[in-house]
Amino acid sequence: MSESYVGISWNRQKKIYDAIIGVVVLIYLALFIGVGSLLHPTSTIETLLIRGFGTAAILSLHIVLIIGPLCRLSPKFLPLLYNRRHLGVATFFLGLVHGGIATFQFHALGELNPFVSILINNTRFDSVPDFPFQILGLAALIILFLMAVTSHDFWLKNLTAPVWKTLHTLVYIAYGLLIAHVALGVLQAETNPILAVSLGIGMLLVVGLHLTAAFKESKTDTEEPNGKGDYVEVCSVDEIPENRACIATVSGERVAVFKYDGKVSAISNVCQHQNGPLGEGEIIDGCITCPWHGFQYEPETGASPPPFTEKVPTFNVKITGGKVLVDKTPNKAGTRVEPVSIDG
Amino acid sequence: MKKKEFYIGYLPEMPEGIAKVVRPFTALLIVLVFVLGIIFLIGQRPFAKSYFEFGNVQDFEGTIQARPIPFLLVVSDEKTEGLPKFERIPLVAEGKDGAEELIRSYDGSRVKLKGTRIYRDSLQMIEVVGGSIVKSGGEGQIAPEKEESLGIHTLNGEIIDSKCYLGVMNPGNQKTHKICAINCLRGGIPALFVVRDKAGNTSELWLLGEDGKPVNEKIFDYVAEPVKMKGEVKRRGAFLYFYSNPDSIERLN
Repeated sequence: MSESYVGISWNRQKKIYDAIIGVVVLIYLALFIGVGSLLHPTSTIETLLIRGFGTAAILSLHIVLIIGPLCRLSPKFLPLLYNRRHLGVATFFLGLVHGGIATFQFHALGELNPFVSILINNTRFDSVPDFPFQILGLAALIILFLMAVTSHDFWLKNLTAPVWKTLHTLVYIAYGLLIAHVALGVLQAETNPILAVSLGIGMLLVVGLHLTAAFKESKTDTEEPNGKGDYVEVCSVDEIPENRACIATVSGERVAVFKYDGKVSAISNVCQHQNGPLGEGEIIDGCITCPWHGFQYEPETGASPPPFTEKVPTFNVKITGGKVLVDKTPNKAGTRVEPVSIDG
Repeated sequence: MKKKEFYIGYLPEMPEGIAKVVRPFTALLIVLVFVLGIIFLIGQRPFAKSYFEFGNVQDFEGTIQARPIPFLLVVSDEKTEGLPKFERIPLVAEGKDGAEELIRSYDGSRVKLKGTRIYRDSLQMIEVVGGSIVKSGGEGQIAPEKEESLGIHTLNGEIIDSKCYLGVMNPGNQKTHKICAINCLRGGIPALFVVRDKAGNTSELWLLGEDGKPVNEKIFDYVAEPVKMKGEVKRRGAFLYFYSNPDSIERLN
């Protein structure tokens, strides 16, 4: 199932997800500011707000970034992915408040425009200890802003999935900028190594999970089946669970071969919504259902059921001696291909 | 073969097996977030005992002294050897501005003004409410102390703006405060040169040029970082002054 555009298509899972985000953020800020003012009675409220929102934003961004690889390693984490974009938008707002208060605190009420102050007051780009770390934070915030405003499916549809996906891949640039913002900023003024150690562990977690997930997926991509002629053997029929798929790389593209009702069909593995892995989905109500956000496609046509309009390429399939063979050349998205009967 | 569970977000319930993994994992993640928040709080550098009595505007009376930096000279009720005891309180304006403009026509005059106290250890300052200075009548007073030279010295320290350092911000020095300090110096807030000994004890010297005038615009590039400066240290009353040529600044990083 795909959907028409409304502000947010609320459902129970999204409400629970957002409620958890809201409650955790509120408790975190209350804890940081409340306990902070007890532990550090001479600290100013502005400092606690800047640090509270800043640390909340960086923690939130780490969680956003580990959800993707966790889901690639195990589908049991998919509920965390389903509404991840709301966590991403929350991360942007936490960063915005952090940056807003810091901009007012350190750059407003002076002779210069606050943004001019950020850009020109410190130009020691050649110095690690004195690098103007604020500019890095501003650049990261601009990226997070672009991602937040284009997070809605309206933009996904209009920018097209590849462009949207590329734009949202900029989160890794934003992450790098923010790590540098923290390392060249507050860590330069602090002496307790636990802060740097925490940041290092966070980075290792993000990088490590991404590498592990990439290694796992690389096996699918490198084990490209060989075959003479137009068709290549991808798997045996028996390997495919009922209403599920096997995934194989054919001519550099991932193909999902589904088995259902005594038949086999093959479509592109890439969901039109957010490029989710359709081959990790399931056939529900006769439609291939994407594991990420539940978008659906008919296995014979690669098209979403009316009135929805998403389409993915289909592939011609043969079964020979219990083996599934897939045509190397995809059909145009939405092209009907008669499913092949397992019994011949 | 047991059927694999499949999660669909728009269905009201998640499959039981998935819930058994994702719920404890989420709980663990939340606990970790709170624990890290506490670690970040505890791991911070201790905050200085500096204060800004924001919202507590008080009345002050004394004599304006514009040089070497804007002061309010207040006569204390106490006396030393039968002579009146004076207290010099530096003045700044609201925001990131010095008090030069506010006091321009009151130098040497006895005035009343409204302001907010800023203080750190034995140093204090008044943030003057704009337009609150009025002449109170009577002769302006002159403190009797003499300036005493403590010699030419090369000192290692940090250039900061006095207003934030004394309490308007906390921390009001070092890297994260660098640009704010530059903005404050740009606005005419007097510069301090802070020297730390190995035990962490600090001495604050009002930083001036060799001619006794502010050098704010020549030191922006060296603010909030370890530097070395050469100049003459003088004492007057309770304050130390550092008369230094900005060309003598050397970075220690």
